[in-house]
Amino acid sequence: MAFNSIETTGLTKVYSTSFGRKKVEALTGLNLNVSPGTIFGFLGPNGAGKTTLVKLLLGITFPTSGSAKILGEDISGYKIKSRIGYLPENHKYPPYLTGGEVLDFFGKLSGMEGDPLSKKIDELLELVNLSKWKKTKVKNYSKGMMQRLGLAQALINDPELIFLDEPTDGVDPIGRKDIRDILTELKTRSKTIFLNSHLLSEVELITDRVGILNRGKLIREGTVKELTQKGEEYKLNLEGSSVESFIKQYQDNFQISKLNDGYFTLKVSHANELNSILDKLRSEGIMVKEMVQQKNSLEDIFISLISESEKGGAK
Amino acid sequence: MKNIWTVTWYSLREALARKVFIFFFVISILTIVFVALILNLTGIEKVFAPGVQPDLFNAVNTLEMMFISPITLICLLLSIFSSASFIPIMLEKGNIDLLLSKPISREQLLLGKFFGGILVVLLNIAFLIIGVWLIFSFKFSIWNFEFLITIFTITFIFSILYSIIVFFGIITKSSTLGMMIAYLLFLIVSPALYTAKYKFALFIQNNIIKGVIDFAYYILPKTSELMGKTNYDLASGHGITNYQPVLTSLLFLVLTLGISVAIFRKKDF
Repeated sequence: MAFNSIETTGLTKVYSTSFGRKKVEALTGLNLNVSPGTIFGFLGPNGAGKTTLVKLLLGITFPTSGSAKILGEDISGYKIKSRIGYLPENHKYPPYLTGGEVLDFFGKLSGMEGDPLSKKIDELLELVNLSKWKKTKVKNYSKGMMQRLGLAQALINDPELIFLDEPTDGVDPIGRKDIRDILTELKTRSKTIFLNSHLLSEVELITDRVGILNRGKLIREGTVKELTQKGEEYKLNLEGSSVESFIKQYQDNFQISKLNDGYFTLKVSHANELNSILDKLRSEGIMVKEMVQQKNSLEDIFISLISESEKGGAK
Repeated sequence: MKNIWTVTWYSLREALARKVFIFFFVISILTIVFVALILNLTGIEKVFAPGVQPDLFNAVNTLEMMFISPITLICLLLSIFSSASFIPIMLEKGNIDLLLSKPISREQLLLGKFFGGILVVLLNIAFLIIGVWLIFSFKFSIWNFEFLITIFTITFIFSILYSIIVFFGIITKSSTLGMMIAYLLFLIVSPALYTAKYKFALFIQNNIIKGVIDFAYYILPKTSELMGKTNYDLASGHGITNYQPVLTSLLFLVLTLGISVAIFRKKDF
């Protein structure tokens, strides 16, 4: 039976502080579905509840109300975790262990042993470029190396669902690209990746769907394209002696406005209208040198949604 | 079971990485060397008062206990100190998240850590006691195998104290309180309760105070008696002459550990 990799229904977590006098709602009635084989980016400002959700799904914290399933099973059981990988944000490994021993420990806890585990350790260290450091104690690893080791650890049991909390934190640009490539490769192997990250430009590059969380509430969810496109708005670079007169002639008919250096923005209601305008431009002898559909960056959308949400919350 | 063993084994690794256990090991070696030198430099006739013809078996046993008792006491104190941080370190953010994300139950995780601490002490105490026992046994050709039971009684005492450390470690995520209470119980409360109940009972007239002493005596572990009389009786081949301290202490251990597991199972991290 087909099931979502992650399904939450009304998932709520309320933390009590100061001996129960103060209540903090970290997550409020979250309904979320993540399809198998996708990379899902979970975004939100600090304290939005992103890590709380991952902790609830992994049984590190318990829900106050609501329910959740991962890989079709209720989150209350621990055996399902043999099919899950997790890289926490501030992971700590025993400093007296070597990189290889760290993977051995977590591999054994994931139910692996013997030759398959040894082979997997070597394969993963190779994948994250740490083969040379296999026998070096992790206390001598740099932040970037720890992060790569963390990724190897999250993959040790060949999981179907992988939770990554800030996986590129502290990693240099080349290392970040390597990690992105690994994640993309994992996706081709039908793995589901749940990615918590502040690096919106990276999330934009690799995720299929994105959820934006603020103050424990999911305020928007969709594909990156859905979230970032501005509708039918295009930036055109036009060249020809009749450009100015064309604009004057048609500016009441189309939403076209001049930018600079031959660039114009054009808003149309649908693609057919765009085609007829392009036909008219050509018939007037105007050359369309460049045409780009306009879109927001994920960062623009993120900031705008969070600001709107904050204003809404303040009312 | 495999999960428990994995955590236990890596707890042993954690312990070996700490200098205090190396110190513990060095003390054990020094003790063994010291015992060997003493026995080689002096004969038993010089150890006992001139003219006394001791029962050699009992004399050897007494000597063994004489050497072992203070050293095991120091080793126990060191063990409490060194193992106190096992649980708080496990509960640190970034560490516990990772452990709980693996297919291991919380019970298995906590028990693995508990047995890890015990295994470390068992190995250290076994090394010390077997070392001393071998030297005495070769020297006097008296092989008092019962003496080796002290390995288990001392490990048992440690496991009781360690259960207290685990309990407070789970609640406070710190080693300080658990360590202080373990030391307090081991060094002051248990000897004081034993003395109050058995040595000064006649002098205590107030029934309420008597009742409080009795209550505290029975519900708290009797590390003082286990370390003294029970240990000595077992080492000298008399067996357990009074089961009450052993059973009530065992009950305390099981309850403390059980409550710790119950709290740990429900705790948010």
